[in-house]
Amino acid sequence: MNPFEKISAAATSGMKAQAQRLQVVSENIANADTHGYQRKLVSFENVYDRGKDLNRVEIGRTFLDQAPREEIYDPSHPFANESGYVVMSNVNMMTEFADAREATRSYDAGLEVFRQARDMYSSLMDILKS
Amino acid sequence: MFSDLKILHTASALARHSVQRHGQIAENIANADTPGFKAKDLEPFAQAYAKSQRAEMEAQRSGFAQQAFRAEEIKTGGVASPDGNTVSLEDQMTRSTAAVRDHETALTVYGKTLSMLRATLGRN
Repeated sequence: MNPFEKISAAATSGMKAQAQRLQVVSENIANADTHGYQRKLVSFENVYDRGKDLNRVEIGRTFLDQAPREEIYDPSHPFANESGYVVMSNVNMMTEFADAREATRSYDAGLEVFRQARDMYSSLMDILKS
Repeated sequence: MFSDLKILHTASALARHSVQRHGQIAENIANADTPGFKAKDLEPFAQAYAKSQRAEMEAQRSGFAQQAFRAEEIKTGGVASPDGNTVSLEDQMTRSTAAVRDHETALTVYGKTLSMLRATLGRN
């Protein structure tokens, strides 16, 4: 297999995983004020592709964060339970933004590797042209 | 001078080594956030090349076809994050830039040797 293809495959799998992670982060942020929402967590798994001799990354199962959700006492609220408490979401903006930043950083690194591979390939082609 | 074009062989070996190394780094970066993933790198070119030379000599003696240049993976051994991942993006970017530079060097040497050969033949 062309080694440049292998580099692109690895870099692309990383970028895909990070983009998917960012998608889950944005879902969490969008639902930060949804009553009773449990934040979602993605898990990354290292998958060895025997055919290509390549360690790809793949998104594994998506979990629900079991952290306790905040309960506010407000009997007049339409979503209040029998004892007068409203269950909020367990989304923490700080955690979500930290997650988003990490995803962006890793995505950028993957993109840079992809660019480098492309440049290396084109300079290899230049030898054939000259 | 051109009785033995070993320089072309060495340059192409360096090119292959640097591309393979870049592939290894791409894997590391892809797995930058995978829990428990250990960063890996190839052994330095000089070492890997010496090994492949020996392997090739043996292969020629025993009549086997020339073996593909292959470097072994070594652990980089960085500081692990709490989830056991040892990939440091900064470190990996440095390494990938070094691999790209090695590749550039190899291709330049290769290209220049070819143009020298062409010059001896009176062509441009």
